[in-house]
Amino acid sequence: MFSTGFKYFFGVTVLSVVALVMSVALFKNLALIGVAITFLIAAGALLTGLAIITSDGTTRDANVQTSDMTTQSLWPLVTGIGTVFLALGLVTSSIVFFGGVVVLLAALSEWMIQAWSERASSDASHNAEARKRLLNPIEFPVLAALGLGVVIFAFSRIMLTVDKSTGAVLFIVVGTLVLVAGTLFAIKPNMKRSVGAAICALGAIGIIAGGVASAVSGEREELVLAAEEGHFTHKECGPEESKYFDKLKEETLSLRSAVSATIIYQDGELIANIQGLNKPQKSITVPRSNATNIIFRNATEGEFRLVVDLGKPKTEDKDSHHDVDCTQLIETGGEQSLTLNIPKSSSADNSYKLFIAGAEDKQIEVVVP
Amino acid sequence: MHKTLKSTFVVFLGSLVAASCATNAPQDTWQPKGPNAKLIDDLQQPVFAVAGIIGLIVAAAVTYTVIKYRDRGQPIPEQTHGKPALEITLTVIPALILAVVAVFTFGAIFKLAKTDDTEMIINVTGQQWWWEYDYPVQNEFGITSPIISSGQLVMPVGTKVLLRETSRDVIHSYWIPALNGKRDAVPGRVQTLRLEADEPGIYAGQCTEFCGLSHANMRMEAVALSKEDFAKWVANQQAPYVAPAKDSLAQQGETVFLNQCVRCHQVNGLMRADGTPAIAAPDENVWSGAAPNLSHLMSRNTFAGAAFDLLSKKCRDEVWGAPSNMVGAKYLAGVTEDCLNQKDLRAWLRNAPEMKPMYANPADLEISNGKYRGMPYLALSEDDINKLVAYLLTLK
Repeated sequence: MFSTGFKYFFGVTVLSVVALVMSVALFKNLALIGVAITFLIAAGALLTGLAIITSDGTTRDANVQTSDMTTQSLWPLVTGIGTVFLALGLVTSSIVFFGGVVVLLAALSEWMIQAWSERASSDASHNAEARKRLLNPIEFPVLAALGLGVVIFAFSRIMLTVDKSTGAVLFIVVGTLVLVAGTLFAIKPNMKRSVGAAICALGAIGIIAGGVASAVSGEREELVLAAEEGHFTHKECGPEESKYFDKLKEETLSLRSAVSATIIYQDGELIANIQGLNKPQKSITVPRSNATNIIFRNATEGEFRLVVDLGKPKTEDKDSHHDVDCTQLIETGGEQSLTLNIPKSSSADNSYKLFIAGAEDKQIEVVVP
Repeated sequence: MHKTLKSTFVVFLGSLVAASCATNAPQDTWQPKGPNAKLIDDLQQPVFAVAGIIGLIVAAAVTYTVIKYRDRGQPIPEQTHGKPALEITLTVIPALILAVVAVFTFGAIFKLAKTDDTEMIINVTGQQWWWEYDYPVQNEFGITSPIISSGQLVMPVGTKVLLRETSRDVIHSYWIPALNGKRDAVPGRVQTLRLEADEPGIYAGQCTEFCGLSHANMRMEAVALSKEDFAKWVANQQAPYVAPAKDSLAQQGETVFLNQCVRCHQVNGLMRADGTPAIAAPDENVWSGAAPNLSHLMSRNTFAGAAFDLLSKKCRDEVWGAPSNMVGAKYLAGVTEDCLNQKDLRAWLRNAPEMKPMYANPADLEISNGKYRGMPYLALSEDDINKLVAYLLTLK
């Protein structure tokens, strides 16, 4: 009388109602839990109703005998592995826990669909086809994304291990091989699928093997050194070119609109253009404790860097240096963004300013009300 | 039709009509009070009329068809296919209507986005759940040092004001229906909104982007003053801090303020006992890193994100109900002891989270690194509250 789907969703709905009642009894603040469980109840009730109306979507005649033969299944094993990861994750890390959740959900879904499809009719091939129709549109993109992700990650490990010139050569070689393989597949449409699959598999295995070997070997020395010394995070804000900070300068911006101000170094003068004010300004106002983006544009001949003086650090003594932040050295016509986030309001003995490195008299006052 | 169903329908329709006749509707989108809102109104009136007429025609046609051709067991009527003339006509007419609407809509959008005719800028920062206003130096308006305020935006009439909006936490949306449409305040971006009021008055608004627990309490008011009155307001906001009289209750309140409130709230010019400026440290105590600056608090009519009135109902009605030429004088009078809404202010100081839902439960602060979102319960004694109220009243 009651279909399997009905029983399942009815159970989910009843359990959700129980969970909501328990949550009301146990927790004071139900804001998110309450909303989530209420939605679960609504979804469960809806699906219960649909399961009754559609009889689980089955079109077969209930009187026709169905196959009792079930095929071998990997899903119980995968479910077990997922459960182990889930349990391990509870005592180790959230990544392992969520990995376990994903594996468990995927395995249970596959298992449920397989169990349903094997009993859809007495025709095993029809059952297999029904399963494919339902799951392949999900399985193929997910597996493709996972496969590509693994290959790309492995390739990135290789590129981080080999030196820069070898990396360039490797990139050209791999790119050429991909192009050759693609051309081959295009001009030989009748080529056996197994040959094409073998070429792709070999390529992927090669890259993955190289990635594993590279990961074991570690990143190349200059990257290890840079990470240890913090070359990429430590900004050197002087007028001279910084060996690391000014490397690979970015002088074009995607962020052009909706900035707080555009600071321009023009004709030896530093000015601020603020949307809504028609005249150039010598001060800008930024809200306290808020990430505020400005653009620095160098319109003077030569390379210049915009520096923001953020005052003295709170815990340091009075003789300490001021905190600063800065852009890279910008060539004539170049521009770069800088984000200001100042937690304390400005006052007579706590002021902030923007200036050109090496030309400290070229200033813009930063007011934090 | 069943009698009960008919009665229900009539009651529903009657309620709808009655609701549309409300006189006390300060956020009515159909009552523009400035050129930007008028521009929108001039667009929405005809579009609404056209859409309404089309809606009525469609509803009438559907009702007629449903009743006339309802299932009485008759065979399915002949199905019409392949009438190109009819299909083209039914495609072209809506397309033409939409094209005409689009022409006027685009024109209005571009006019509302103009910034090159700005006469005054005000920076607006939204955060859970209040608005901060800061006025950069603009000598032509007498603003020689930055002014910071919250809850109520004060602006001169007949002046093209450009709000430069941003947000400290989540996306908010600024909307004073009588003066213009909405503009989202987005973290990391500065978005602009034109405002201009034709005549002095107080115009109500509401955050219109769901922004968390107290979104419904995130209100704002724009106070438009005549240019002379605005100059007086500016002068008052820039006036130096006046310490309370020695040995007064207010002076004791200042001490309580220094011990309790300065952790988050700034009062410009307030000094500590050692003679150093009392600089608030909301960045160390509040998740967003900022709390309302309370300098000249009693020159505003609202507090707690404009969720509550600083004025008692009688005094508030006098300000809101004042004729246009009297609004400035009434507003600039500020909050006197007689007019103070003691009940709400004391209740707020007693237990703020009970007045306005905020993430201020000390047991639930793990995710915010121990910092509050909103004002927490401070366990102030009634004695301290008396002193604080006396002190806050001096912040004119």
